[in-house]
Amino acid sequence: MDKFLKREKEFQELDRISKMLIRRDLVLTELREKREKELEELREKTITLEKSRIALMNILEDVEKARNLAETEKNKTSAIFENFPEGLIFFDKENKISSINSKVQELFHLKEKKIRLIGQNIKDLKNYFSLIPLIEILGEEIKVFYQKILLIKTNLILEVSVIPVFTKERENKGKLIILRNVTREKNIERLKTEFVSIAAHQLRTPLSAIKWTLRMILDEDMGKINGEQRGILEKTYQTNERMIKLINDLLNVARIEEGKFLCKLQKQDIVKVLEEVFILFEQTAQKKGLKFEFQKPEEKLPEIKLDVEKISLAFHNLIDNAVNYTDSGGEVKIAIENLTEQKQILISIADTGIGIPIEKQDRVFNKFFRGENAMREETEGTGLGLFIAKNIIEALHGKIWFESKENNGTTFYCAFPC
Amino acid sequence: MPKKILIVEDEELLYDMLKRKLEIEGYEVSIAENGVEGLEKIKKINPDLILLDIVMPEKGGFEVMEELQQEEDYKNIPIIIISNSGQPVEIDRAKELGAKDWLIKTEFDPQEVIEKVKKQIG
Repeated sequence: MDKFLKREKEFQELDRISKMLIRRDLVLTELREKREKELEELREKTITLEKSRIALMNILEDVEKARNLAETEKNKTSAIFENFPEGLIFFDKENKISSINSKVQELFHLKEKKIRLIGQNIKDLKNYFSLIPLIEILGEEIKVFYQKILLIKTNLILEVSVIPVFTKERENKGKLIILRNVTREKNIERLKTEFVSIAAHQLRTPLSAIKWTLRMILDEDMGKINGEQRGILEKTYQTNERMIKLINDLLNVARIEEGKFLCKLQKQDIVKVLEEVFILFEQTAQKKGLKFEFQKPEEKLPEIKLDVEKISLAFHNLIDNAVNYTDSGGEVKIAIENLTEQKQILISIADTGIGIPIEKQDRVFNKFFRGENAMREETEGTGLGLFIAKNIIEALHGKIWFESKENNGTTFYCAFPC
Repeated sequence: MPKKILIVEDEELLYDMLKRKLEIEGYEVSIAENGVEGLEKIKKINPDLILLDIVMPEKGGFEVMEELQQEEDYKNIPIIIISNSGQPVEIDRAKELGAKDWLIKTEFDPQEVIEKVKKQIG
């Protein structure tokens, strides 16, 4: 029995041990599984990290590329700026110089001072003697303007432009000053003008001689002439007058361009001045069968400062065109009125003539402009009348503009401040 | 006694025309072709009126007038300028030097010159 019991106990013990072993094995398996899982997670994390690292490297590489690109662009832009054949100065929003190129240095003889100029406000540039004329034309606020002529000295004439600089987002970045050396062009222009002036002047003497001779023959101071001779001589006389007119116009244009077209300003009754020119055309208009009218204002207009000789020439040219380019039966109406609200005197010269073709309208005030329809109509015009008129009116601080429709008529307006 | 007029002008056709026209009107006309000759003839014939060109060889019209201003005997002879150009500055200067009138050749007929002459000396 004892033996049996003992055996039984041994079995029980064995069973307990084996159960314990099984349990431990289970725990171990569990632990192992857990570790493996952890390892797996670690592996995954490593991969993610590696991926992030690569991504980061890529980003860094892109940044580097962009930086290089920006650097190249910047170098390119500053090389263009530096080597630009015209003087360039860039002022920032505070009117401080932010860039300046070598051409400016060359134009103003600024030796090795370029770097020192950067960061300086326009107000502080007065210390640089050679820059004073430029600073004066720019003003402390640096107003925007286009193509102003600046005479530095006789052998240096600059054309100055001030251009505002905006980003794509319309953010104001400052102003760019462009300085173009136009000395050579201006000198050629001056020589040309002088040549025209001298040539025209020289041509006047023989033309006067022809005019006087023809007049005397026509007046029969040298004996009787017959009807046929008279007819031919009258035509010759008219042709010569046209030539004189052309030469006079050329001389006026040359004087305008030489800047010698000085105005003698005196307070004048503009109605009277205009009326005197109007009267000169009455006969021609009547002969041509035109309705020719002068509408005077009811009240007395304030006197304005005018150069009578010059303004009469301008009115003469405008009325001459209106009468010449309006056919028989048409109408030429000249009016003058006081626009008290605008403080202006407005003159209008309206015709019902051939008009100016729309495609030619922007060139009307150019030298030698003539509409094709005008050339068919009339061979006499010089193409200088409106150029002269515009220059005179603007020199007297007036404005001139027009409205026109081909085959319908043209109205020229001039306004003077009063 | 006909009135004496001296034309100082270098362009032959012009002075020839003027001379004819003035002679028809009954004036006695002499010619000088430049300023130097003009001054000599002024002193020789003491004219009643001078028609004077501005741009001439040897001596121009302004110089002739300047010199006449220094001569008591001749400085009051009326002068009418006959010139090619009519710049206000030039006209003002001529008037300062005693010119009575100013004609621009291309703008005047000989008949109008006669009228200006008559206005001065009848």
